[in-house]
Amino acid sequence: MANITKKVSWSSRGDDSARGEATPLLNGTEEVKYTRQPSGGSIFHIGRLSTVDLEEEITSEEDSVRTRPKEIPHNEKLLSLKYESLDYDNIENQLFLEEERRMSHMNFRCLEISRWVVCGLIGVLTGLIACFIDVVVEQLAGKKYSIIKENIEKFTEVGGLSISLLLWAVLNSSLVMVGSIIVAFFEPIAAGSGIPQIKCYLNGVKIPRVVRLKTLMVKVCGVICSVAGGLAVGKEGPMIHSGAVVAAGVSQGRSTSLKKDFKIFEYFRRDTEKRDFVSAGAAAGVSAAFGAPVGGVLFSLEEGASFWNQMLTWRIFFASMISTFTLNFFLSIYNGHPGNLSYPGLINFGSFDNDKLNYTLYEIPLFILMGAVGGLLGALFNFLNYWLTIFRIRYVHRPCLQVMEAMLVSAVTATVSFTMIYFSNDCQPLPGPPEKTQEDNHLQLFCADGEYNSMASAFFNTPERSVISLFHSPPGSYNPLTLGVFTLTYFFLACWTYGLAVSAGVFIPSLLIGAAWGRLFGILLTYIPSISSPTWADPGKYALIGAAAQLGGIVRMTLSLTVIMVEATGNVTYGLPIMLALMTAKIVGDYFAEGLYDIHIKLQSVPFLHWDAPATSHWLTAREVMSSPVTCFSRVEKVGTIVDVLSNTSTNHNGFPVVIQDAASDEPGKICGLILRSQLIVLLKHKVFVERARSRLSQRKLQLKDFRDAYPRFPPIQSIHVSQDERECMMDLSEFMNATPYTVPQETSLPRVFKLFRALGLRHLLVVDSENRVVGLVTRKDLARYHLGKHGLEELQLAQT
Amino acid sequence: MLDFVMNVPVAGALSATEPYLGLRLVLAIIAAYHMITITERNRKRHVCVWKLPLVSRMTRLESFTCLKMRCSLSDAFVLTCAAFGIAQLCVSATESDVAAAGPEVSGNGALTPSSSLPFEDHNVGYYFSLSLSSAFPDDLEVSDYCLSLLRIFGERYVNYVKCLVSYTRPVQICEKCYTNFNNLKEIFANISSDAMGPDNVSCVDSLIRFDRLMLVYNLYHKQLDIWESAACSQCLTTDQRSLNETTLYFLTVLNRSASCFDKHKQGNHSELCKECKAPYHTLSELYNRMEKNQTLCIDLEDKMNVTRRLWSKTYNCSVPREETIPVIAVSSFMLFLPVIFYLSNFLHSEQKKRKLIHPKRAKSNQSLMNIQEKFS
Repeated sequence: MANITKKVSWSSRGDDSARGEATPLLNGTEEVKYTRQPSGGSIFHIGRLSTVDLEEEITSEEDSVRTRPKEIPHNEKLLSLKYESLDYDNIENQLFLEEERRMSHMNFRCLEISRWVVCGLIGVLTGLIACFIDVVVEQLAGKKYSIIKENIEKFTEVGGLSISLLLWAVLNSSLVMVGSIIVAFFEPIAAGSGIPQIKCYLNGVKIPRVVRLKTLMVKVCGVICSVAGGLAVGKEGPMIHSGAVVAAGVSQGRSTSLKKDFKIFEYFRRDTEKRDFVSAGAAAGVSAAFGAPVGGVLFSLEEGASFWNQMLTWRIFFASMISTFTLNFFLSIYNGHPGNLSYPGLINFGSFDNDKLNYTLYEIPLFILMGAVGGLLGALFNFLNYWLTIFRIRYVHRPCLQVMEAMLVSAVTATVSFTMIYFSNDCQPLPGPPEKTQEDNHLQLFCADGEYNSMASAFFNTPERSVISLFHSPPGSYNPLTLGVFTLTYFFLACWTYGLAVSAGVFIPSLLIGAAWGRLFGILLTYIPSISSPTWADPGKYALIGAAAQLGGIVRMTLSLTVIMVEATGNVTYGLPIMLALMTAKIVGDYFAEGLYDIHIKLQSVPFLHWDAPATSHWLTAREVMSSPVTCFSRVEKVGTIVDVLSNTSTNHNGFPVVIQDAASDEPGKICGLILRSQLIVLLKHKVFVERARSRLSQRKLQLKDFRDAYPRFPPIQSIHVSQDERECMMDLSEFMNATPYTVPQETSLPRVFKLFRALGLRHLLVVDSENRVVGLVTRKDLARYHLGKHGLEELQLAQT
Repeated sequence: MLDFVMNVPVAGALSATEPYLGLRLVLAIIAAYHMITITERNRKRHVCVWKLPLVSRMTRLESFTCLKMRCSLSDAFVLTCAAFGIAQLCVSATESDVAAAGPEVSGNGALTPSSSLPFEDHNVGYYFSLSLSSAFPDDLEVSDYCLSLLRIFGERYVNYVKCLVSYTRPVQICEKCYTNFNNLKEIFANISSDAMGPDNVSCVDSLIRFDRLMLVYNLYHKQLDIWESAACSQCLTTDQRSLNETTLYFLTVLNRSASCFDKHKQGNHSELCKECKAPYHTLSELYNRMEKNQTLCIDLEDKMNVTRRLWSKTYNCSVPREETIPVIAVSSFMLFLPVIFYLSNFLHSEQKKRKLIHPKRAKSNQSLMNIQEKFS
């Protein structure tokens, strides 16, 4: 309610400031006047609103309105200005059409083939990266744990275990420090799992630097450090981001960072094509992470791709498959069985095809119950993480503080783990040599010889190994108290860890929490005396369902997660219980809080467009939604005007309608096209001026290639030097503008505008009146600001971040 | 066809002039009916069943098959009759059946179930193969050579299993049974080799691949699995003829600590813990080293387990948990750090503010009023 009222107050203030006479739209400096502050005066102007909460407005000084913008603490109800849209709609200007017409049928066929080649390359490279991460993490973590283990064994007898504790904490924090420094100082966008960012990218939001080579480097090194550093994190989420970066890089046939251009795939150098490859990359990442090719495709479909077709699906599936099997192949070499293609996935849940793990009809309600528990715990997790993240954005925003925080978390993780292990009395007999693998870190500590501390097998291990151990250890490997304490501790640790300035995912910690309480649930079931049927016996299946429920409760994925779990366990018969658990988890969780990724997208103030417009928005029309007045250009525009508009920092517009201005009247001009900032910059850079063309007829005609070469990093306007003489020149835009932009009448309802915008992946949608005159412009931020809050429709505010 | 078979028990029942004739007749008919259903199922293989009372001249092979059938038939009978609780009739019916079958059949009475089960005898190992060889008719394609191999296999198998069982607890199977195992392995290699025997026959086909049961093969492989899961080969020399040096060394080290345990067993265990620590540690280290090198077999594992249990449980020499205070101190210090960190951040770091930007909006007083009305 309050927000809507605020909106009203600004708008009426706009009304107040006599906008009607603001006709000279071409002058960029004019815009400053309109980006003003709602003033106290405007509130009093609408006297009947005085009952609503408007204290912020009242406190602001009326005379400071023009000079100082209002500042508020960061919250989730903001839209950041730094995010722009991607051009998912082709810019159909004359150059483009000419080129398309020149292309023969054969050319298109070649393009199709090169799409397949690119997808294959994406798969191979993603698989290789996954393999690299896996091997390095295994080596590093193995090294670390063997050092600590040796130390603990030494000090168990002679005394001085607190030194082992310190050693563990120091080793952890130094590894995490490296990972955190590269993230916090070099590439902050590489923090976290990267799934929210990729989701935004595929939604059509240009997140700065998200698909750069540097990001990939930082991501890979960061994830190695944070997993080896013993944080409660996994390496699966970052794989998805890595896959996406690989895809965006490979499909362009060049690297801007390395200044290397292979002169291939030039046709793909635009957002539309790149988007498809990025979805393939994300799928390849999932498939490498979990050994789940189909799950990868569905993940891309569910979380990512907002734009979809059958051929693309098939290509994405190809990329996923290649990625899984590249990983398998190289891991098989690493493990000394070259050619054996059965080492799937970074996390391999092991196969659940044991007869003991059958389930029966009467267990279904139990699985549903577990789903509900997962949903509740997931909602709690998200809620806690939401507040933590807000705190972090507000107070812990300096890079050095972020590094310190990450180090502290890792040290505390080590401390807590050590304390748990130290005080645990749960001793279990060591498995015999056939089952025993060298990688298992069995700590004896105060247990009898030939036994190991069971708490240590959960804490003193990389999270992946702990998950597998929870799934597959024979019944009786853990006692209920251990599992309960472990669940509780790990829940808070994982919640605390997600959102640090390290690159790390939340998949594995969620699975681990879920597996722990799931196993606990399974063990407790056997205590019910009346139903001591042998099928209860194996708690492994409950661990699996618990893991699925917990993960579903946190990230709220449904379809793809079911398939991923089924594929990762290699047992189709578990599809039904997993699906039921995930369904329940989502329903229960959604009642309390949003999914973790959605929360983070919101907290980053990304203008994210959901599938549909908010449900109660039918009464809004394009007139209320659009930005107006619009900065327009004429077909033949003066260079000076263009430069001025482009260099105006306060507006930073990206799309400019090209109009035929009726010189005599003050009315807005008739629409004849749309031109983008990036195009104008390329034009200015090449000095495509009317006068020059006349003077030098031999000048090369600007081609689409020139635009592609500048893509995706168009230089800022400041870097382009325009002399005083040139400012007087004229520029003919008619050849370069998109002559057929999408337009809607003013009376179009918001859902309709939304549908058009979302389905076509538009960046700018022009609002015209009955005479085809431009009255407004709808962009992503205009649509994304409406959202359904607790009190009905709310409006988000734009903010500089 | 059906009538014929039913006649058999009927005749038998009639010949035994006893009371309750009618009842027994009915039961016999039921039993016979059961027999038929079984027979029908196997009709193709045991086609001679209904020829049996009818045709007295039968080829030898046929009578042999019928005998086998008889065994299974009597099994069926026992089942059926047990279901009706009348064993006596069953017996009489069988007898009469046999009687009706003619001299050839009764002449081979040695093959009735009771006498053809060799393992009922206590001296099984040595007589079983003899009885087996006499049981086979001459014209079967099992050569004498193969039968003798089979006999040896049987003997060695029995010896090996006997050895395993006698050294089950404490486990000493590797140490004691490797000779037996080697023998068994050798004879199985002989049987399964493709090399031709003296009569230019290979026993693989006749002994191993002859039927779906593949008894010899399966028996041997079950034992092989046990041997391999015991990892016995790791305690033996490469030719598997004797215990290897590591094992012997381990046994001496083990004995040293065992004798130490024995010496200090009486009295205070804390003394034992102190005195025997050195030998026990040498043993533990050796064991760990061997575990890493994978030179352990089940014997050594078992011995070590016992020793460890003595050390930790019986004599209670495990390391006690002593440093609780320092660990708690260090951990609470570590846990306190984040609290300080967040508090100081909250108090001293300036809060990040966002500058609000106000978008250009169309002047549309009318519609704004509409919104207002809708929402208030």
